[in-house]
Amino acid sequence: MKRTLIAVLLALSTSIAMAETIEATVNGLVCGFCAQGIDKTLRKHPATADVVVSLENRLVAVATKEGMDLTDAELRKALTDAGYEVKAIVRTETPIGEIRAKLKAAQ
Amino acid sequence: MQFPFARIASAIVLATCQLLAVAEAKPIAFAEGTTVMAEYGGGTMTEIQAYYSPNYRYSIGGGHLTLDSEVNDDEHDITYARLNFLPKRWNLESAQANVFVWAGAGEAQIGGTGDREFAWNAGAQFDYETRRIYASLRTDLHEADSFSHRIHTLQLGVAPYKHDYDTLAVWFVVQGRDYDDDLYQGTEWALLLRLFKRNAWLEAGVTNDGKAQAMLMFNF
Repeated sequence: MKRTLIAVLLALSTSIAMAETIEATVNGLVCGFCAQGIDKTLRKHPATADVVVSLENRLVAVATKEGMDLTDAELRKALTDAGYEVKAIVRTETPIGEIRAKLKAAQ
Repeated sequence: MQFPFARIASAIVLATCQLLAVAEAKPIAFAEGTTVMAEYGGGTMTEIQAYYSPNYRYSIGGGHLTLDSEVNDDEHDITYARLNFLPKRWNLESAQANVFVWAGAGEAQIGGTGDREFAWNAGAQFDYETRRIYASLRTDLHEADSFSHRIHTLQLGVAPYKHDYDTLAVWFVVQGRDYDDDLYQGTEWALLLRLFKRNAWLEAGVTNDGKAQAMLMFNF
């Protein structure tokens, strides 16, 4: 039981440590002028290192600072409080710089 | 001028039913955001406004509106405080729609006599927008002892391409504005070019009378 618990905690901590970017799929994201509120709000969070917003992909991506985390609940609340509807949140290992470059290349 | 407005209202309802998109400058920007707007409307109206939004549901602030009649010599300067509220927002996959309402009170200075009167105002806006097409319908009422002004504004726009967060948004906009009879005879139409990027919004065009119309807005 103790070994199982340790294994679960280890797996969880590894997963959190590797999660470099949090990606949220958001409804209602149609206006860049309005979406700046999301950017502004998320950058205020102490764990936020960088933010990418893509209207085309309905995407809000947040990179967290090393050793810090923005929980799914915190991200969901920030986006909801900004006036948008969150459809999904996933954690990826893709660096946010790579996401930004891909989006720019696709424009 | 009630009948032209009824036609405008019918047009907007039809447009909405056909899923044309809607949007105009919004009186609430985003949580903890400040909005500053200035509008020059063909010589009939000039307005400046500033609002702070504690959250995305409402904003508080004030403005100054000058209404200069095209029909007679009436000129009214109205300074007001106002509360804007967003009672309903629809966040769709590729669209957003909003209902805004507002109310405020202040003082009106009557041109000619220089008299000052208590004035109040109320209004509403419905907008629906995608990244390619939009429309909005807005109505404003300004009341004092010596006047009652109603202004209804319809905007329909189309974007030549889908903008994104970091790119310049370009919109071509047709605007119909219906003032009450004491301010303007008929419906004033305008063709506008709207540009916005990040926190800056610029809109400029010309009315059917050949007069300039412009709006500038910043969110920060």
